[in-house]
Amino acid sequence: MTSCAPKNALESGQSSALDQIDLISMTDQMAMSLGNDPGVIKLFQQHGPLLVVVQPVENRLTAEVLPRGPSQLFTARVRTQLERNHSSMFIWINNRDTFYSLRDQELEGIEPGPSPDAINPEYALTATFSSITQEDSKHRSIYYLCTFDLSSLSDRTRIWSDSYDVKKIAMKGFLD
Amino acid sequence: MERFLRCEEDRDERVFGLRSIRPVWLCAFIALAMCVVGCNPTKEEITARRGVHQYLTGNFYGSMHTLEPLANEPDENYVLNNLRLGSAAMAAYELDEAEAAFVRAYEVLNAGSVNDQNRRTAAVFINEKMKIWRGEPYERALCNFYLGMIYYHRADYNNARAAFENALFKLRDYADPDRDEDHFREVENNFAIALLMLGRSWIMLNRPDLADACFRQVVDAYPDFGPVAQALSDRSVNTILFVEFGFAPRKTADGMDGAKVSFVPNPHQAGLVPRPQVIVDGQRVNSRPFDSILFDTTVMAQDRLWQSIDTIRVTKSVIGTGLVVAGLGTAIYGATEEDAGTAAVGLALAGVGMLLKESSEADTRQWEMLPRGAFLVPLTLSPGKHNIAVTFPDVPQLDQEWDGLDVSASGDRLYFVRLMPGRFGPFAWPPIRGADPMRTYNGPMLIEDDED
Repeated sequence: MTSCAPKNALESGQSSALDQIDLISMTDQMAMSLGNDPGVIKLFQQHGPLLVVVQPVENRLTAEVLPRGPSQLFTARVRTQLERNHSSMFIWINNRDTFYSLRDQELEGIEPGPSPDAINPEYALTATFSSITQEDSKHRSIYYLCTFDLSSLSDRTRIWSDSYDVKKIAMKGFLD
Repeated sequence: MERFLRCEEDRDERVFGLRSIRPVWLCAFIALAMCVVGCNPTKEEITARRGVHQYLTGNFYGSMHTLEPLANEPDENYVLNNLRLGSAAMAAYELDEAEAAFVRAYEVLNAGSVNDQNRRTAAVFINEKMKIWRGEPYERALCNFYLGMIYYHRADYNNARAAFENALFKLRDYADPDRDEDHFREVENNFAIALLMLGRSWIMLNRPDLADACFRQVVDAYPDFGPVAQALSDRSVNTILFVEFGFAPRKTADGMDGAKVSFVPNPHQAGLVPRPQVIVDGQRVNSRPFDSILFDTTVMAQDRLWQSIDTIRVTKSVIGTGLVVAGLGTAIYGATEEDAGTAAVGLALAGVGMLLKESSEADTRQWEMLPRGAFLVPLTLSPGKHNIAVTFPDVPQLDQEWDGLDVSASGDRLYFVRLMPGRFGPFAWPPIRGADPMRTYNGPMLIEDDED
C-alpha cells in the first residue's frame, strides 16, 4: 500500500549525481585493481612497501560541485580497502590538509597516520572525475568517468591507472 | 444498493433540509466558508521571519542561530531555510557553514521530480505552500553563484568553476504558460556576473582560451561590462571585491484573490543604481570603470524568463471563480425549484471552487536576504595588508571599512562586502570565528587624496 503522505524534501527528488552505491562499487573495484596490479606488486617486491600520499578527487565535472568531504571520501575509501586487504604493500600518508583535518578529530578516535612533515611520500594516489551532461525538458543524463592513478612523485610516471564509468539519468517533474 | 441510496437521500433531506433551503442562506454559507478557510503562519514560519529580521538588521550570528534548526528540517521550506542560513553565514564569513547550507539547497535544486504527486495535489487543493520551495530561477542562479564565490574565496577554482557553470542553466520561455507547461523555448541565461567569474576561474585554472570565450560572451551582450571583463582576464589583478548593496524586491500576492505574484519595488520605483567608491589605505582608487551593476534583482524579478511557471500563471484562481459562480447559480436554481439534488451539486461545485480560489493565493515565499545588486571591483595592490573601504557617495550611511585585508604575492583574494545600513565597521581581518567582527564605528573615513 502506498502512503498518501507527501515525501519530504530529501526523499522525493531524483538525483543524477554519484551516490553511495557508486562510491562503494567504484572504490571496491579500484582497490582490487590497484592491489592486484602486476606492476605495483613488482615494485613492492623490489623496494618494499610503497609510501603513498592520498589526494582528494580533482573535480572536472560539468556544472557539478564536489564538496571537500565527498572529494576526500572517494580516495580515502580506496585506501581503507587496500589497508584491509593488502596491508603490507602500502604505507599511507595523508596529504597535509587531510592530516590536519583528521588530527582535529583525534578525540573522536580517528587515527590520522604519520605526519606529512615527518615522512616523504614516493607515490601519489589521485583521482579525477569528469562528466558529460545532456539535459532537456524531461530528462537530465550525466555520463561520469572517474579515473584513479598511482604516480611516482619523483619522475611523474604513472604506475597504475584504472577508471570507473557510469551513466545516470533523472526524470524531471512538472515543477522542475 | 437501492435501499442504501434511498437511505442516503432521506438522510440528506433530514440533515441538511436541502428542499427547504433558501438562496440567501446559500450565499451566507459560502461567505462563511470563505472566511473559515485560511492560513495562519506556522511556528516555523514565525521563527524563520525572526531569523530573516535578524539578518536584515545586521545580526548575522543571531540569524544563523535562529535558522540552523529550521535548515535541518527536510520540510517544504528546506531549500529556502538553507539559502537563508547560507546568506547569514556568508555575511558573517562563516564559510564552512555557508557552504554546507548552500550545498544542501543545491542538492535539492539539482534533483528532478522533487514535488511528488501527493504534494502537487495538496498544493492544488490546500495551499501552494505545500510544495517544496525551489524559488524563482534567479534565486536558483544566485544559490549556485554564491557557492561558486565561496569556493573561489578558498582558491578551490575547480569547484568554483563548476558552481558558476551551474548558475548558467538555460531559461524557459513559455508560449502559453496558463494552458501548456510543456511547450517552451530554451534560451541562454544572461547572468553576466556568473559568466565573468567563470571566466576568472578559467584564468586561475590556466585555461585562457576558455576564459576568453566567457569574457567575449559577456562583452557581446553587455558592452558596459568590458572594463570588468578586461580586468578579470588580467592575472596581475590580485584582489577582487564583491560588493553587494540593497535588498531584492518583495514578493507580494496581488490581483484577483491574491493569486498573482508581484515584485515590489520594480526598477523604476527602486530608483537609480548608486555608484560605489573604493578607498584603499585612505586613497580613492579609480573604481569608475567597474561601477556598472552586474545584476539587479529588481530587473530580474520582473523578467518572465527569470520567473517560475507558478509565478507567471493564475489559472487556478480563474477556474475557482468559474466554479464558484457556476456552483452558486446551480445551487440557487436547485433551491428555487426545490430540487435537492441540483442544489447539492451546486454547493459541491461552489465548495470545490472556493477551495481552489482559497488555495490559489500566490506562494510568496522568497529568499529575502538577496541584495538588490552587486559589483565586482578588481584591484592590483601591493602584497601585504591593506585597509579597504567601500562607500556610495550618493547614499548616506551606506559604507563599510575593513582593516588588514591580506593581499597575496601569488594568486588572488576575493573579499565579500555586504553593505547594510548600520554596518560600517571597521571590521578586522581575518574575522574571528564565532564572534561578530563589528567594532565601534570610528566616524567618517579620512580621504587623503582625490581621484583623478
